[in-house]
Amino acid sequence: MFAAFVSMLCGSLLNICITGLSAFAVTLIFKTSTTTNFAQGSIATLGCYVTAELFRKAGVPVWLGLFPGLLTGLLCGLLVDIIIFRRGKNVNPVGKQIITMGLVSIIFGGIPLLFGNPESIPFEPFYNALAAGKAPNLFVPFAGGELVVTKHALICLAITAVVLGTLFALLRFSKWGLAVRATASNEYTAQLMGINSHSVTAVSWALAGALGVLAAVMYAGGGAKIGVSFMTTIQVNAFLAGILGGFSTFHGPVAGAVCIQLTASCVGFLANIPGLSGITRWNMVIVYALMLVVILIRPQGLMGKPVMKKV
Amino acid sequence: MTKENGILKGALRKPPVQTALFFAVMVGLPVLSERGLLPHSFVYALGNTLIYAIIAIGFCLLLGYAGLASLGTAGFIGIGAYTAYFVMQQLELPFIAAFLATLLLSILLGVVVGFISLRIEGIYLAIMTLGLSETIRNLLMALKPTIKIELEHVRLFGVQLGDRGSYYLILIVFSVLMLLTASLIHTPTGRAILAMKNSASAAQAMGISLMKYRLLAFVIATVFAALGGMLYMLHVRTMTTATSTLLTLTTSLNILGAVIIGGAKSLWGSTFGVFMIYGIQSMFLSKIIFFQKNPAFITMITGLLIILVVMFFPGGFAQIAAQLRLWLKGRLLKRKGGGV
Repeated sequence: MFAAFVSMLCGSLLNICITGLSAFAVTLIFKTSTTTNFAQGSIATLGCYVTAELFRKAGVPVWLGLFPGLLTGLLCGLLVDIIIFRRGKNVNPVGKQIITMGLVSIIFGGIPLLFGNPESIPFEPFYNALAAGKAPNLFVPFAGGELVVTKHALICLAITAVVLGTLFALLRFSKWGLAVRATASNEYTAQLMGINSHSVTAVSWALAGALGVLAAVMYAGGGAKIGVSFMTTIQVNAFLAGILGGFSTFHGPVAGAVCIQLTASCVGFLANIPGLSGITRWNMVIVYALMLVVILIRPQGLMGKPVMKKV
Repeated sequence: MTKENGILKGALRKPPVQTALFFAVMVGLPVLSERGLLPHSFVYALGNTLIYAIIAIGFCLLLGYAGLASLGTAGFIGIGAYTAYFVMQQLELPFIAAFLATLLLSILLGVVVGFISLRIEGIYLAIMTLGLSETIRNLLMALKPTIKIELEHVRLFGVQLGDRGSYYLILIVFSVLMLLTASLIHTPTGRAILAMKNSASAAQAMGISLMKYRLLAFVIATVFAALGGMLYMLHVRTMTTATSTLLTLTTSLNILGAVIIGGAKSLWGSTFGVFMIYGIQSMFLSKIIFFQKNPAFITMITGLLIILVVMFFPGGFAQIAAQLRLWLKGRLLKRKGGGV
């Protein structure tokens, strides 16, 4: 039973990675541009389409095709910041949200124009690079049972750990990180202190775009059907992770993402208990409801600090 | 001439006159379609657009007057749609029962969200309501994948409503709600809501109960959205909860976008915004062969339009219209001056 439970938790590894990466990207933009970027998922989808198209048309393996995809996300983010957000500094927060929503429409319309409307897009997980056609799962004997982990999830976990670890280290110790933190706390003051906040926001947008594409490629590699709006659920979860963990820190949203996905698999595990087998259908309802209750109790988020309002 | 002109202009500013004019024009359109002057699908699409307009005027009050941003609209629509389905199709009760049930549920939900808004503010509130909306969407998905009301159950006071009947019902509901909202804005309640937006602390200092008016604003927005959902079920009669975009973030954002580009503080502007985002696409562009073959262009143009309006005209179409009026007035004055 315990092994089955841990297996279940391992099953959510991939979702944890994807949501964690997206949540970090959302937070980065939230803190430097003070807006929720609804286009996060669409930019990620666009990059994922590039990778998928290279795989389908030219047979470029996904681990290699990932890089043009990342570049697409990077450029998209950069362009959005330079063309739109730099000029729209005076737009109010709701207006900024609407602008990102306009971007969603443009990308949603643009994807079918660029890539057509294929029924299904073939994709492959990362481990195909190492051992094509081998068994996708890893079995580990554990506590009197057997742990089942997909190799794809393990590879993704490693990549996510390295990427997020590097970013957290950079934020904490590098000059760039200091500039980002300064811009996040007060952009105007940061400018007065000689920080080039333009380049900070530009790098944030580019980074967020690339992280989104990484998450999308991992998601698609895990077997998700690629479509124009296939990242929407992930993105919504990332936003919710943001307020669950608290937007006031960078690690809060990532922790929130881990919490949401672990709770989801725990609730899913309850289906094994006789009499509760119908719970799978209600899985997300329960998770969201729990989360809303937690946020109501701690509005600043699990890891956030309460904000003092000055009159 | 100027006096009569002034009276006419003054009358045009009165909400009842505006609503009556709008009603008169809209009532005539199905007759035109019967004579073959307009395609039937035009009236059907117009009905859909008016449903979104109902939702948008409720949202306009919430965002433009109370200053509260919500992303839960889609969930509220879903509640209305499911209630209509459950009461009219499952229980086979008359329309009035569905109407009352929708009203009751949406008031309850509005009160809950209103209480949440007292604790959480700004973008956090928006994401929180998004979470609520997702909860409702997942709930509906778990309850029933496809909800469908048979035509025979769509009855109003014993009369079966066809496509045209539901269009008239939507138009009447829109006009009544528009009139109520437009009048509310000029009452002390409306002023209190506006004061709360401009500064919550100052409003409280003037003795305005934040709780009362926030709850009221959310109840109004929720009721309007739920009524929209109910009317949708009477008009379209079917919805796939698992895949329908009506229940996703897209709808909440589109309504938000319509209100912003229409002019957040203008009810008619918001209605116009809805026509820009939903109406043009379904009523006009989908008839043009080029756009039929490339529907993606419509989506792209809408997106571009939204970005341009928000960036260059923060007051939305209402601001564009006001500027245009000023400019025209200036031209007229100049010409008059030149003549004399």
